[in-house]
Amino acid sequence: MGGPPYDCLSNPLGAVRFAFEKAMASGSHPSAFGGKDWGALDLFRHFLSEQSALSQVPILNPQTIRLVQPNTLVRYRGMIQDMLGNEFYVGAYKDGSSWRTNKFADVSQFPMCSSPDMCVWERRLLYCVPVPGQSSWTKSSYQPQLNQGMESSSQKKEKRRRLDVEDMDRITDDELETSPSAKKMREGDCFPSSEFRASVPEGNFPRTCTFLDVDKDSLPCLVKIYDSPESELKLNDIFEFIGVLTFDSESEAATNDYDEVSNSFSDDELVQLPPNKVPRLHCLIHRKLAVHDFLQSSPILEVNPHIVKEIREALLRHLTAVLGDDGIAAHFVLLHLLSRVHNRVDDVAVGKLSLNLIGLSKESVSVFGTRLSNVVESLLPFTHCLPLKLEDLNAASLAPKKDYQINRLRPGVLQIPEGSHLVIDETQLKAGSLDAVGVENARLLKNLTEFQKVEYDFQYYKLEMAADIQLLIFSDGKSNILPADIVIPFQPSSVGSYKEVATEALEAWRWYLATVRSLPHSIESDMQKVVEDDMVAARQADQSLGSQDFSRWLTMGRLMSSSFGETSLSMEHWQMVKELERLRRERLKLK
Amino acid sequence: MASDSSPGNFFTDPSSPDGFSSPIGNTFSSPAHQRGRRRRRSSPPSDATPPPNGSRFASSAASPTPSPAVRGGSRGRGRGRGVRRPPTSPPDSANTDDLPLPSSDFGDDMDEATPTYVWGTNVSVQEVKSAIYTFIKNFRESQESSDDVYAEAKYMMLIHRVLEMEGEWIDVDAHDVFAYDQDLYNKMVRYPLEVLAIFDIVLMDIVSSINEMFDKHVQVRIHNLKSSTSMRNLNPSDIEKMVSLKGMIIRCSSIIPEIREAVFKCLLCEYHSDPVVVDRGRITEPTMCSNENCLAKNSMTLIHNRCRFADKQIVRLQETPDEIPEGGTPHTVSLLMHDKLVDAGKPGDRVQITGIYRAMSVRVGPTQRSVKSLFKTYIDCLHIKKTDKSRMVADDPMEVDGSSQRIEEDVRFDEDKVKELKELSKQPDIYDRLTRSLAPNIWELEDVKKGLLCQLFGGNSLKLQSGASCRGDINILLVGDPGTSKSQLLQYIHKLSPRGIYTSGRGSSAVGLTAYVTKDPETGETVLESGALVLSDRGICCIDEFDKMSDNARSMLHEVMEQQTVSIAKAGIIASLNARTSVLACANPSGSRYNPRLSVIDNIHLPPTLLSRFDLIYLILDKADEQTDRRLAKHIVSLHFEDPKSAELDFIDLGTLTAYVSYARKHIHPQLSDEAAEELTQGYVQMRRRGNFPGSSKKVITATPRQIESLIRLSEALARIRFSEWVEKHDVVEAFRLLEVAMQQSATDHTTGTIDMDLITTGVSASERMRRENVLTATRNIILEKVQLGGPSVRLLELLDELKKQSSGPELQLHDLRNAVATLASEGLVVLHGDSVKRV
Repeated sequence: MGGPPYDCLSNPLGAVRFAFEKAMASGSHPSAFGGKDWGALDLFRHFLSEQSALSQVPILNPQTIRLVQPNTLVRYRGMIQDMLGNEFYVGAYKDGSSWRTNKFADVSQFPMCSSPDMCVWERRLLYCVPVPGQSSWTKSSYQPQLNQGMESSSQKKEKRRRLDVEDMDRITDDELETSPSAKKMREGDCFPSSEFRASVPEGNFPRTCTFLDVDKDSLPCLVKIYDSPESELKLNDIFEFIGVLTFDSESEAATNDYDEVSNSFSDDELVQLPPNKVPRLHCLIHRKLAVHDFLQSSPILEVNPHIVKEIREALLRHLTAVLGDDGIAAHFVLLHLLSRVHNRVDDVAVGKLSLNLIGLSKESVSVFGTRLSNVVESLLPFTHCLPLKLEDLNAASLAPKKDYQINRLRPGVLQIPEGSHLVIDETQLKAGSLDAVGVENARLLKNLTEFQKVEYDFQYYKLEMAADIQLLIFSDGKSNILPADIVIPFQPSSVGSYKEVATEALEAWRWYLATVRSLPHSIESDMQKVVEDDMVAARQADQSLGSQDFSRWLTMGRLMSSSFGETSLSMEHWQMVKELERLRRERLKLK
Repeated sequence: MASDSSPGNFFTDPSSPDGFSSPIGNTFSSPAHQRGRRRRRSSPPSDATPPPNGSRFASSAASPTPSPAVRGGSRGRGRGRGVRRPPTSPPDSANTDDLPLPSSDFGDDMDEATPTYVWGTNVSVQEVKSAIYTFIKNFRESQESSDDVYAEAKYMMLIHRVLEMEGEWIDVDAHDVFAYDQDLYNKMVRYPLEVLAIFDIVLMDIVSSINEMFDKHVQVRIHNLKSSTSMRNLNPSDIEKMVSLKGMIIRCSSIIPEIREAVFKCLLCEYHSDPVVVDRGRITEPTMCSNENCLAKNSMTLIHNRCRFADKQIVRLQETPDEIPEGGTPHTVSLLMHDKLVDAGKPGDRVQITGIYRAMSVRVGPTQRSVKSLFKTYIDCLHIKKTDKSRMVADDPMEVDGSSQRIEEDVRFDEDKVKELKELSKQPDIYDRLTRSLAPNIWELEDVKKGLLCQLFGGNSLKLQSGASCRGDINILLVGDPGTSKSQLLQYIHKLSPRGIYTSGRGSSAVGLTAYVTKDPETGETVLESGALVLSDRGICCIDEFDKMSDNARSMLHEVMEQQTVSIAKAGIIASLNARTSVLACANPSGSRYNPRLSVIDNIHLPPTLLSRFDLIYLILDKADEQTDRRLAKHIVSLHFEDPKSAELDFIDLGTLTAYVSYARKHIHPQLSDEAAEELTQGYVQMRRRGNFPGSSKKVITATPRQIESLIRLSEALARIRFSEWVEKHDVVEAFRLLEVAMQQSATDHTTGTIDMDLITTGVSASERMRRENVLTATRNIILEKVQLGGPSVRLLELLDELKKQSSGPELQLHDLRNAVATLASEGLVVLHGDSVKRV
């Protein structure tokens, strides 16, 4: 395939139409597609296969939203917060003698009112929000790419169009204001193809300022998905969508005009998600994101036991310093940071390792708790902190709740993507009475810690959603609301400050946590024998040990060997786990 | 707006020059209705008195895009029904019809010889018409057809009934249509708009032939389609087809009055215009008064109370939770309800609806040049049926107390599912498989699980003529060491049971469990509120931490567990509430760990009266056994390291298990076979005889009538597990085994090793009673010998030493002696002052 005669970046719809016409020319009938792709996606995949091309695609965020032009190719990273069902649209229709397509667009480019030949296709609507609790360090990675992307797209401008002065004044981001690319950006618009130009009625011509109402911190996005199986995109997954940004300015006026009937049919998106607040993205290509995609750079690419061990030592030293020289607690925190649910057998979520640091008073939390939270925030991409207060517990449900008035899922604190870290500070909790909401919230938290599941409230029934959230609990005594897997008395010996860490080290640690966490794990049969023997012996000695304790041991064993970058449990690491357990139990006894 | 104070019905107004006033009177926005209207004109008797309501196809036609391209047969324009797009075409075909033609055309068309076709298909209108006619006239249900050919056809009967009741619709079972004429069924599902309209005409023809004076419009309502779609799978190809969906109503709009005919009045001369029919969702206001004497311009105003409106409602239907795939959110679809269907369901109802999937294009705005390429979809609802509220059938059909108004159409298991379940039940190892599938993550405890399984299925309840009743519910008590997954078992059963409450003993009060009476703070009336046991009527009430419950609360359970009612006698209210619930309780031994040296009663610390009401009592003991420990270790290691798929045995998943239990509870009512009854008597006699083995002078009760009831319940449950209508001998044998396993663990007299029901019923075993008797005699003898009447008192410890010297039996405890002396004191032989005994 030769170079395409259009610009995928600034005129993606042109590319779509080009491919469509080509498919038509080769004699296919649109109804035969049934909405399936006709080769347009291949064009984009081909275009994006080069790394540089991907970085040229601007990322949609509150800063860039004012700069990108509609009907251009953009990227959006977000969590699927709600699914709004399917939408039927006129996918292809006959305009005179030639077929036209509406795929990847909201409004047809050609008049189609009198066309009897139409194909109705469907697409899915996903409501996405920026990943909740995203750490600040992941966001900074957007900036350089953004400028780069702006640069390259702006160079391709053919026509220029002045924007309202008023709009320019609203651009507050200083950096963008001064950057040359942004200036160019403001001078021009993005419609290079004259064909496209001609086809859009003047009244429709979008002004760039349409998204001015956008919230400064969060930019939701309505993503329209084509050609992908339902099972591929799940609630709370984090995705990167690459697609065509559109909006129709006319809808604002239109909403008032609806008669009651059609209003009740279409109440949802237009009214609840006004296009000037929520941009629409017609997704061409989507990709599930892992933690790695949020790292600045990947300094080390392969798991080298030596390097891994070094990084592990450094990180452990840092954690120990942060925890006031409590080495044992640091070990547990490290294991805790590496945990994830890797298997579910019935109700048992295997692999979770929630940690409860006890012996923390209100005062010490303000020192060590804050420190630890900060460290976690700087290490993991998605972190949350939830101070448990009576009034907050009674105030609002932590779980998402379906609001049938607007037919949307109202997000709750506990609607967070897999792999998030949640710090719960129980020291803030005072004695008092819980009302119905509070009791429900306490139950939710308990279920989350025990089963890693969150019940979503659909009013007439509850829907259980699997979660994978690392829970770190600060409390004075053992927490009963959140029965954690590991309870360890926290015993700092110094309050000395710890030194700031260099960015390179932080990056290495982030990479380490992300990589090591996803390592596969297995057990040799002779090691399995040893483990079983140990368990039997331990149980003979102490009848109170139960399956939960053994389960915890194995999880720790797995994480311990993973933390050294190894994929199978070794004797040495098993011994370390047992020793850690012994020390922990001793501390508990002393208490 | 002027309002007319005389709301005369314009239909009966002879002055109305309503030349072609609609007989049906349904003036809809969409041409589809006009088609229907024209069609229905063919029923002559209804011409004079138009029925008040009409077609169900009212829709707000959003895109007025008439298509010139579509015309039916040669003179088929009157047959607007003939206009049809191919199935792949966009769904606005309803709007593609031309304006209504003068109605006179229609009658002619009817008799025309040339066949007219539904546009774009080979569906002949005449053929369909005659097919429907023969269907209505001739369809009889299979069982009656053989012996009674002259019986009236099912739907003719229905029509007669509707005529008598002055009903407005006839429910037609799509299965009947399918059975009678498969071709008609297929046409109906594919082209519902057309075929249903023809159906309505045929119906009206028949109605008018029966009773010329019947003036209501009778509609046909199709329900029970052969296949039902899931909301998720609705796709563009379903548009304009008949679909059947299950779902839950989540929102109902308020009732929308939709104008169908408008009447205008001239402000100058008070002249009333002819009714103006809604045309494509709009009413054209006459610009000029048509009174010849007036002819004033722009003087017409709408008279509201002479316009005709029809009810309309928009309802949102959401997928039921079981249809939602993992990681998805439920889909919703809008339903359009008309006339009688309005308010047929409330939010929260689970319904099955049949309707036509429609789509309308979205107008971006009236000023917009570009039409948005979107369609909004909805379903024109034809029929709505409520299904059961909960996921499982809690109804026990053996209910004999004659509440006849219980709704028949509870859950109908669809045929495939039933087939699957029956297939499953035929497997020889179904009992074991079900046992394995019950809480598969809790290993071991096979017999406990079997007992729980029996509880889930339950026995038959019985109500005797005399009014006494026998419960069919099986009560189970689990007693065990901490950490033996009792609570997990409880949770699991709670999840599985048809209806049930999970409560913890510590947090339950007596009234919380049963019912209580409160005074309404506002009205001061006494109000009865149900507690957990009443709420779990026909279900399983799981009570955790049974031992930690207050005595007061526990005592409330006596009545519930045998009589299955809760009686309240408080000021103002004397009531007896049904609490036909199985109780599954679990308790920790009194010393937190089971003490094997003490009796069960001492370990559990529950009143024997309550204990005897449990059919099965299991002791789940955490034995320090290396074998079990090793299995536990293996189990956990495999949990962590093995591929979950390979570990998957042939477990029956929770959904199937639930369905299986529900089906069995609802449909299987096993009876005792003679053989089984014989076995039962034999076994019972044997069990009782076991107490009287030769050489034993003491009387040991090994079984009581309560046990035989338990046995019957257990064997019935076991037969149910096999979906068998008869309790076979082996069921009884297994019931005996289950009972014995449970008894052996709980009712074994640890001093003799035999089963002793006295342990349960009185808390004291026969051998223990014998021993006490011995101690008493010995004490009496000693006192009579050693202690002088009126002499100095003797210390208890001295007596004890004396006793020990004499008796050679097992060690004697001080409290045994104390008991004996207390008995003697009550006999009046001695007086007890603190530690000293004095003979009197």
